[in-house]
Amino acid sequence: MKSFRKKIAAVMVVTAMITHEASAFCGFYVSKADGTLKNKTSQVIIVHDGNRSVVTMYNDFKGDMKDFAMVVPVPVVLKRNDIKVVDQQIFKLLNEYSQPRLVEYYDENPCYLRYDDSDKKEKAPMASMLEGKVSGLSVQRADLGVKIEAKYLVGEYDILLLSAKESSGLKTWLTENGYKIPEAANEVLQPYINSNMKFFVVKVNEKELKKLSGNFLRPIQISFNSPKFMLPIRLGMANADGDQDMIVYAFTKKGRIESTNYRNVELPTGKKIPLFVQNNFSNFYSNLFQHQWDREGKAVTMLEYAWDVSPKNYMKCDPCVATAPSTQDLLQSGVFWLNQNTDYDPQNLDDDNSNDLVYSDNVYFSRLHIRYNRNSFPQDLMFQETSNTENYQARYIITHPATGDLNCVGGKKYLSDLKQRRREEMQQLVSLTGKGYSDWDVVTNNDEEKFIPAENSYNEAAIANNKIEKRQHGILFATLGVMGLISLVGFRQRRKKPM
Amino acid sequence: MFKENSPFDPRYFQVLFQLIFLCYGIFFLQWNDWTHYIISIIGCLLFNYLTESIKQGKMLPAFGKQGWNLWGFSVMISAMSLCLLLKTNHWYTSLVACFLTVLSKYIFRIGKKHLFNPSAFGIVATLLITKDAWLSPGQWGSNAILFFLISVLGTIVVTRVQKLDTSLAFSLTFIGLLYWRQIFVLGWPLDYFIHSISSGSLLLFGFFMISDPKTSPNHRVARIIWAMSVAIIAFYFSAFKWIYNTPIWILVAAAPIVPILDRFFSSKPFEWSSSTVYIRSISKIKKE
Repeated sequence: MKSFRKKIAAVMVVTAMITHEASAFCGFYVSKADGTLKNKTSQVIIVHDGNRSVVTMYNDFKGDMKDFAMVVPVPVVLKRNDIKVVDQQIFKLLNEYSQPRLVEYYDENPCYLRYDDSDKKEKAPMASMLEGKVSGLSVQRADLGVKIEAKYLVGEYDILLLSAKESSGLKTWLTENGYKIPEAANEVLQPYINSNMKFFVVKVNEKELKKLSGNFLRPIQISFNSPKFMLPIRLGMANADGDQDMIVYAFTKKGRIESTNYRNVELPTGKKIPLFVQNNFSNFYSNLFQHQWDREGKAVTMLEYAWDVSPKNYMKCDPCVATAPSTQDLLQSGVFWLNQNTDYDPQNLDDDNSNDLVYSDNVYFSRLHIRYNRNSFPQDLMFQETSNTENYQARYIITHPATGDLNCVGGKKYLSDLKQRRREEMQQLVSLTGKGYSDWDVVTNNDEEKFIPAENSYNEAAIANNKIEKRQHGILFATLGVMGLISLVGFRQRRKKPM
Repeated sequence: MFKENSPFDPRYFQVLFQLIFLCYGIFFLQWNDWTHYIISIIGCLLFNYLTESIKQGKMLPAFGKQGWNLWGFSVMISAMSLCLLLKTNHWYTSLVACFLTVLSKYIFRIGKKHLFNPSAFGIVATLLITKDAWLSPGQWGSNAILFFLISVLGTIVVTRVQKLDTSLAFSLTFIGLLYWRQIFVLGWPLDYFIHSISSGSLLLFGFFMISDPKTSPNHRVARIIWAMSVAIIAFYFSAFKWIYNTPIWILVAAAPIVPILDRFFSSKPFEWSSSTVYIRSISKIKKE
């Protein structure tokens, strides 16, 4: 294998995550219309240091924008300055920068010394982010133990901060004001009320909406001081059945974030996979994710990316699939300890002290992908910041075969190595995704493959692997059979002896 | 058949079970922090050998009564605790943890007892000093089988050294408080609570760390009071202050109270060798 000289020719990414249809944040969408809304993939940026958190929720609402409404439990009553709307581009940027990547290598033809490859291609990622939907309301107060702690107009949103004494009161209040609350929400509203959480209630202000040029709702960013470093996913499960996905982009000073109440798993990375996966990387990745998630027992958070993205750190990925977030992007994401005026501010940095802010230029980025459902995730997601600074990226490798005449001594050796490698790649594919050989469409690029004999093709590799597997099964059964026979004979003899 | 200082010291079981947990982590949970494991074990053994040799004023043999049993054994349990609990970025941080662990065994001593649980002290001091290490309370997941396994295996270990009282007092108090808070006060459904208590970290602490007879009070009543107080304080900080891994911090912080409790409740201090009585009596019976 080492004899192949490889080089990175191009890097290709395909958005793999956002495959589900509608979506929501950790709160739930409430609907006036009777259709049941499903929360599927949501995206959230969390910036955390000491007791301060900045949370940005991507608004992927799909439907008539004026019908949008959302309820999110928050630990404190937010002030006007703690709420703002940000450009939704930031999510696209972070997603593209940190998503799982497919890396291409090209084998060099061993029969030539140098082979110039002008065929560098770069495929643009296609991101399909969708918007969710629903409701409208008029604000009225009834004596239901519900108190409007604050009321703001921020961007295109009317925002209320509610505190409540009882879930039934809160539920009635929300229903009376035009929010459609799922039945199952009761079971979680009460614990939140008991935990002294407030409710951040959002709806769209139609007047302001008209002033907007684009036809999308902007992400809402909230900041607060609280020791609670968590995401309330329980409420979001109230009106969803089945699995939901959430991508968490986290920025911290020291190192990775991890969940403290669920196991944290790194997805397998750096694996060599068959070339044909490039036609359908997104499908490959969603199969891989599902398979690994099942294997790890579901109640886990999956790490997809972790890197030091401090403005001073030069290398922010290897290889990079998109531009790394700039200082401006980080500031927009809510990284509040970055000093925007000076590039370098070496004074440090010990955690904490929510109010007197210590500037620092350390920023560590973690991207977690969580697939959750009611059964596997009985608790909200709690996080902690760790000192773990090990870089990580979910990265998969495809290798293009050498082109040109391979009829030389080195070429023959290359072909036999290639055969072996492709078999291994096929095995890797099966073990990563849990899908058999027959589940994959082996589409070959004829231009590329024309120099490679048919016996070295992926199809042949799959057939060979199948045979090996069958043979292994055969050996296994044979061994079991022999063992069975031996034990049978053994028992008989033993039974005979006492007689 | 069996010698006086039988190799079937209960600590063998303890190391064995710790090894089983580590293997569970490595084979089922894909832990792969090999550098940390190797450095922790070698580092602890090396430091302990050197310190014990200096203390005795001679180079100690590798095996036998004056060898492994003297310098290797007890530190092995601490080394395994470091492997199971601590995570580090760099090998030298792991080495610092070993050094601090061994240091606490020799420096903070009161009579025949340690003031701090060596590995708990090593972990907490490393976290504070280096800022390069961390604990992962979620590392075990909430696998019910593991819950069962740790409880059962832990019980065996603890009963062998006659200190089930500490573990039970701690675990029952902590779990009881969690139940009260999560179910009665906050009103979460039952699976919320079950998820909290099936974390391996809590059980591992209850059965392998707080139960250390060298660092817990000698008198049974004192031990129970002490274990319950650790549970109550740890619960307070985790439930109301949102701090994680509180038991281990509280265990270290509360250690200085143990000598005071020992003064009030006098009792014979614990000796590891006394627990081998069980095996020895068997050998006597056989001889007869």
